[in-house]
Amino acid sequence: MIRLIQAELLKIRSTRMWLGMLALSLGFTLLGLGFFIALAGVEMNGQPGLPPVTDPETVRGFYASASGGVLFMMILGIIGITGEYRHQTITQAFLTTPGRNRVLIAKLISYSLFGAAFGVANVVFTVAIALPALAIKGGSTSLLDHDVPIILGGTVLAMALYALVGLGLGALIRNQVAAIIVAVGWTQLVESLLTVLVPSVGQWLPVGAVRAITRVTGFGGGAELDTLPVWGGTLLLLGYGLAFAAIATVTTVRRDIT
Amino acid sequence: MITIDGLSKSFGSVRAVDGLTFSAQPGTVTGFLGPNGAGKTTTLRMLLGLVTPTSGRALIDGRPYAELERPAELVGAALEATGFHPGRSARNHLRVICAAAGLPVQRVDAALELTGLTEAADRGVGGFSLGMRQRLALAAAVLGEPEVLILDEPANGLDPAGIAWLRSLLRNLADGGCTVLVSSHVLSEVEQTVDHVVIVARGRLVRDVALAELMHDHGGLRVRTAQAAELTAELERAGASVRTDDGRLLVTGVSAERIGQAALDARAVLTELTEERSGLEEIFLQLTRDEMLGAEPAGTVAGS
Repeated sequence: MIRLIQAELLKIRSTRMWLGMLALSLGFTLLGLGFFIALAGVEMNGQPGLPPVTDPETVRGFYASASGGVLFMMILGIIGITGEYRHQTITQAFLTTPGRNRVLIAKLISYSLFGAAFGVANVVFTVAIALPALAIKGGSTSLLDHDVPIILGGTVLAMALYALVGLGLGALIRNQVAAIIVAVGWTQLVESLLTVLVPSVGQWLPVGAVRAITRVTGFGGGAELDTLPVWGGTLLLLGYGLAFAAIATVTTVRRDIT
Repeated sequence: MITIDGLSKSFGSVRAVDGLTFSAQPGTVTGFLGPNGAGKTTTLRMLLGLVTPTSGRALIDGRPYAELERPAELVGAALEATGFHPGRSARNHLRVICAAAGLPVQRVDAALELTGLTEAADRGVGGFSLGMRQRLALAAAVLGEPEVLILDEPANGLDPAGIAWLRSLLRNLADGGCTVLVSSHVLSEVEQTVDHVVIVARGRLVRDVALAELMHDHGGLRVRTAQAAELTAELERAGASVRTDDGRLLVTGVSAERIGQAALDARAVLTELTEERSGLEEIFLQLTRDEMLGAEPAGTVAGS
């Protein structure tokens, strides 16, 4: 199994796709940070844009920017499986390892490891910008207060679990473009609408779980959304990850590879 | 050794492979021939555990592929020259396989060297020609130094020098005791290399025969005449061997000129005198024609 995980990690590293996804996720993180840096405590038309940096909610918002690009890890997971079908490399993978569930399990482990590393990169990037920015603006410079450890740890976990969801979705749909459209459409559109319209349902969906883990409750001081506690969000996202992982395995093990 | 035993596969209502039985022995190159759509690729994919048979068995050394413990070291397969990520280099493609199969990484350099890809090894496969992709597929197949080699249309896209190189590679491997099964729809690619031919059409076995046996018929002349008995007697006096086949005489051992002389001596009127193609090519062309016309392939080929 160690060998197969090494092979999967080499597959990820030996094309440039992960670099593009990392750049995009760091870009989204930067966008979120820029929003908070620009608007925290600043008067807009006589109204405060966002609460000042002394407000714990704003400090949370700064660090929660780390999870802004979590979708890109899901896309990397989608590409990780649909790319094998698209380029027909799945044939070689199953020739080398006829036990298909072993290939799938190795893939799930590798991508969750990679997702965690991806999350660490986003967290380090976020802290490197947020910490000096908060210090300059006179906010908290502690990485231990205001749920910061939970937010940052939650980001790493969410990245790892989103990778699993991406693999499962990709294995189910198999067409790369279709799978990415479904992922983006669901997380950005369908679930956003559901969350606003029926918050009691929204909290049980994947993005809601990420919201719970990363402590983002209502963006920009808006109305508080129904959100599960941290442990609840963690379990829920783990459940989604494992459910999609199971789908990935079951749909792939018996299928004819032609 | 490869054993195909009563193998069938249906895709919906299409019977791609229909009760196929044959074997490929160690130390020989077995040509697996048939027109496009004859079921060759499906058969090979069932043999490699990628497609589940509807019925029958496909075994390597007596076991299904999925039950082999270290498949890369027993079986090497090159299925099509398309299974590559365009952004991954040839070297990394092989390194992934080595890692997954637990092979020493030095095998990568050896396989690149053998297939003449050392120079191109660090370039992305996206920029490779079809011939180079075929070489890379072969490099992947020989990575584990397997005893059984299964190649699907390996000569596609190779230039004449590449085909010559492929032939000598397959010959050397077979002479070293390997079981080599190589599919093709272009006869000339394999005719000079194979020891044994298995011909399929529409998923069914047409011929399973040693090449030498097929070539026994080779080089004859086809004669049609109303005075067959007289001409046969005359030709046999001239040292020819004559067989009757579908109203014609198949004559071997004498030249066309000698047949003309014999016809004059026997006062026989010739209505046809043709060089016979090799038995293999004749069968093959007939099958391809049947396939194009949509006719049921004949069990044996009558010709004309």
